Amino acid sequence: MGGGENMGQLAQPCRRQKMQQDHLDVDPLFIRFLRTFKEVLKFVLFSYTVLFEPAADPGQLRSRARYRDTLSESLTMAGAGGGNSDVQWCFSQVKGAIDDDVAEADIISTVEFNHSGELLATGDKGGRVVIFQQEPESKNQPQCRGEYNVYSTFQSHEPEFDYLKSLEIEEKINKIRWLPQKNAAQFLLSTNDKTIKLWKISERDKRPEGYNLKEEDGRYRDLNTVTTLRVPVFRPMDLMVEASPRRVFSNAHTYHINSISVNSDCETYLSADDLRINLWNLEINDRSFNIVDIKPTNMEELTEVITAAEFHPNQCNTFVYSSSKGTIRLCDMRASALCDQHAKQFEEPEDPNNRSFFSEIISSISDVKFSHSGRYMMTRDYLSVKIWDLNMESRPVETYQVHEYLRSKLCSLYENDCIFDKFECCWNGNDSVVMTGSYNNFFRMFDRGYRQDVTLEASRENSKPRSVLKPRKVSTGGKRKKDEISVDSLDFNKKILHTAWHPLDNIIAVATTNNLYIFQEKLN
Amino acid sequence: MLGRGVKRKWSCLEELEAEARPAAAEKERDGKEGQGDEDGFLVGPSKSAMNHLQQRQLVLGLCMEKLQSYQAGMELSLRRSVLLINTLRQIQEDMQSDETGTSETLLNHTDSCLLREDMQVTCPGCTEEDGDSLSPPLSPEFPSQEANSSPDQQKSLPAAAINTFSEAVNAMGYLSDLALDDIFEDIDTSMYETSELPSAWSAGSLWPISVSLWTDEDVKMRPPSLPSAGSLQSRLMDLNELDHIMEILVQS
Repeated sequence: MGGGENMGQLAQPCRRQKMQQDHLDVDPLFIRFLRTFKEVLKFVLFSYTVLFEPAADPGQLRSRARYRDTLSESLTMAGAGGGNSDVQWCFSQVKGAIDDDVAEADIISTVEFNHSGELLATGDKGGRVVIFQQEPESKNQPQCRGEYNVYSTFQSHEPEFDYLKSLEIEEKINKIRWLPQKNAAQFLLSTNDKTIKLWKISERDKRPEGYNLKEEDGRYRDLNTVTTLRVPVFRPMDLMVEASPRRVFSNAHTYHINSISVNSDCETYLSADDLRINLWNLEINDRSFNIVDIKPTNMEELTEVITAAEFHPNQCNTFVYSSSKGTIRLCDMRASALCDQHAKQFEEPEDPNNRSFFSEIISSISDVKFSHSGRYMMTRDYLSVKIWDLNMESRPVETYQVHEYLRSKLCSLYENDCIFDKFECCWNGNDSVVMTGSYNNFFRMFDRGYRQDVTLEASRENSKPRSVLKPRKVSTGGKRKKDEISVDSLDFNKKILHTAWHPLDNIIAVATTNNLYIFQEKLN
Repeated sequence: MLGRGVKRKWSCLEELEAEARPAAAEKERDGKEGQGDEDGFLVGPSKSAMNHLQQRQLVLGLCMEKLQSYQAGMELSLRRSVLLINTLRQIQEDMQSDETGTSETLLNHTDSCLLREDMQVTCPGCTEEDGDSLSPPLSPEFPSQEANSSPDQQKSLPAAAINTFSEAVNAMGYLSDLALDDIFEDIDTSMYETSELPSAWSAGSLWPISVSLWTDEDVKMRPPSLPSAGSLQSRLMDLNELDHIMEILVQS
């Protein structure tokens, strides 16, 4: 730098003498300017490389910058990343039986965080709901987010028998949806194939004592022993969590319910089965409105079923439903009472190169989720995750391949029925990362902004407390590198169908067949 | 990876899939299992067509297997049924386009019998004994494996299923729910009403597969309409003719 050299000049005049001999006949002021300019230029270039990570082609750079801009709008909360190299995931907890022998009733069928993330609910094939509560952050370890411990367990649905069809109605919980909290109690909707129930989960930590007519254990007192009257008082007791069914919404669905979704008005919700969608009022359980009916008059003409449905997070009149043919229809309830006419239809034209006998099956959408902002929606089909802009119906704005290496194995997957598996997907709190499950207990995260993805595994081997999860890789080519796993070694019985992301933090819940894994972001 | 007990089958299958890709390296693995000695016969494009046919045949077999395995007790998933049936329809269209496209019987005669909606109850080519006799008429370019595999496939499918292909398909998929949904509304018995015959008997004789699927409620077995009334009508006609003959005999 100019200053340093001048200082050096003062301290060691002889050195400056030597340098001056190199520059002949040049104005010293100009030399100083050049050197300063050089340093400034170096600084600018350095900043450029640090801030903008220049891409190979300018197009990629522009798209990155555009994503950064859209992301920065929504980056208000903690938990910015997930799939980029900055965020590392580490094991936090695992719930469920350790042994490999899986009891059918323990198979987890749905996972859902509530709106604050404090509660995590799971439903299983045996009709039970287990709710975990996050412990408050301890002062000893302020960096470590609280653990989830069992808060309440209850039997939500029982197996039923349909006498008309001579068929059993499974008690398996298909979906759980939390209601936004309005008072001290928590409410959730849980559904099996035919019946939806509204559960109230409330805490009791006080009880009245000192009744005049009853003893503490409930026996009635002999009236002759009552000589004075007293006012009962509330005394503290051990915390007790009670779950009670407040409403039962039944007999509205001929086919199997696959989705429920609470409206943003917090007064209504929809339930969708294979052919119809009904609108309910949370207070009224003996009536529902049918808002979508795709059943043809002649059942032999049936070629398409509804696979998922969801209300828009902000607009209480808008909802979407996906189909087994890979289309998503957006409907506006203001248009008509029966929303058979869609307002928008989202469908990507089929790639003729990839056409096979299984094209339709793998295009069947298994899950649809709106982003928290309400601007985008994500769909999951068998091999990919697609993100749609609600303003563009012709094609998705982003497509992520979950396990493209399975495309050549479709016939085998058809034979063993894995091709019919329904994977779910979820957004992180600020819509920058999406996550979905795969086979071999792998799950995938896609960072939309940084265009990075990672494959992680939920297994007991990686379950040391706070051990960082190592990214996994499936080798597709002939040559298998070390630590990679080949496609033929994948265990197709170990599938992760259900995942959930905490709405505010980088905490995720991943369900394997009968275990629930909780992973957290590694914090320093 | 899947089903170790049927490893041989899968390696066949994966070779099928591998051959479909135009990779020269993979072609070296050909001719080992199931491809046999026809490598000498085939040139490039017809080989992929062969694999297409083989895959189609395999998928067809699997599809029928899956549809038939869902019978009493378990309530089948409508989504799964719809997807299976759509796959079957796609195979059907593929077969039909093949049939119309090529004059030579690339397609097995028995397959085309499956698909024609006006087929008679006993299609002469559909019975298993005739299947083997079809191999000589096939042109020598297309090796005997096509004929060999198809009769094998045929033998694995029950004869009743072949005869009432599309009816069975539709019956299994939707009608169990349909009948209950419109249980008192859409019963159209005009097709079945014959003055002499009791309706239960006529219904029972026309649905060889349905009998095994459901309990014996008449209403369940009478859908409002049928897509391929061909065989149905032929049977009705037979019955009507029989009655006519009986009348004549009685009167005389």
